[in-house]
Amino acid sequence: MEHVILFAGPMGAGKTTAIRSLSDIKVVGTEAANTDRETADKPTTTVALDYGEIHVSEDEKVRLYGIPGQRRFDFMWRILRERAAGMVLLVHNDAPDPVGAMSEFLLEFADLCERGGVAIGVTRMDVRPGPTLTDYTDVLERERPDLMVPVLAVDPRDRGNMEMLLMSLIANIEMRAVYGGAGALT
Amino acid sequence: MAPETGLAAGTLPVVDAPPELSGWAGAASAIHAIQQMPMPMMLRLHIAGHEPVEIDFAFHAFAWSGSLADLPTHPESVLVETRPAIPDRPSIELPGRPLDPLLWTIGWHAFGEEPAPWLREGDRYRLRRWPSLSELDPTLDQVRMIAMLGNAFATADELAAAARTPPADARRLVNAFGVLGILRRSAGAPALDAAPPSGTAEPTAASRTTGLFSRLRQRWGR
Repeated sequence: MEHVILFAGPMGAGKTTAIRSLSDIKVVGTEAANTDRETADKPTTTVALDYGEIHVSEDEKVRLYGIPGQRRFDFMWRILRERAAGMVLLVHNDAPDPVGAMSEFLLEFADLCERGGVAIGVTRMDVRPGPTLTDYTDVLERERPDLMVPVLAVDPRDRGNMEMLLMSLIANIEMRAVYGGAGALT
Repeated sequence: MAPETGLAAGTLPVVDAPPELSGWAGAASAIHAIQQMPMPMMLRLHIAGHEPVEIDFAFHAFAWSGSLADLPTHPESVLVETRPAIPDRPSIELPGRPLDPLLWTIGWHAFGEEPAPWLREGDRYRLRRWPSLSELDPTLDQVRMIAMLGNAFATADELAAAARTPPADARRLVNAFGVLGILRRSAGAPALDAAPPSGTAEPTAASRTTGLFSRLRQRWGR
């Protein structure tokens, strides 16, 4: 049995790091030199996919796919979203418009949000404290009152943080499947 | 020293709470009342032996010099001071600290294992949004109950039965969400299924459900 969870978000949000924190295998990455240092000041960025696994048991695993944050790679988003049970959306708080970026990704992945679930991890809140988590949840309440979305401040380097975010997502998907008529993680 | 900016003139006097509203109960009731008010309010909590806690509801933030872990479980006294705030003018230095963890802590302790006085017997409750509790590191039992209440109306006792947790924990959780102001109420919603999803009959920690949540929990030993 296997489950697919996507890690999405703008470039520099910490998707690759988050998958490394959770994965039981060495993460398979496709990083290349970052030529867009204005958007994210880091030497490399994911150009196709990152891939990691959590081994639940001998015959069950959670496949973790990090999809590139840049829109020019959005064909990869389309390939994987059909298979995904849920999505961890990471947004870095020191981005120019992190709340707007969250809204944009939720709109882009609206079908996945409806079918499965989404959990939002706000990273780098220690670097820039505003916007606050309430700013994110206020927008979610306004734009998607039908969706229950966990929003947590996380450090993608912290395995405990990432476990809590993933467990919040899975709990929400399972409870929505039972009580809300959505798809299920079996 | 708490900043005084943004406070309107004509503040209300500090009043000693009656015995039935002692400890956190009075503060929780005041906060719950303020959450229902249309005008922006500022609240100051005078906790015996601690610096005052300043809460600005309009900006969903608070200011306090201490750590939440230092808040007493059963404070000797908590005096509540409320002031109308001037719209668009924060009463604390922003961004302040996120309010949910503070309100959760107060609500969790305020009424012990009893339901908060504003909860009506027989009514069911559901979350309007997921609480922002990163700072508190909630337990996975609590995460699961949050997910249940996020997707279905339930009484605290139904929630406890469905999550297979002690009723007192579910009552404290619902009380806390009432203080956060994130509950929707329904008098006519159907009862929560007591055994989601495909639960096993025995309420053991290892078999609360057969879903991925439980299997990952076992895998990670949490």
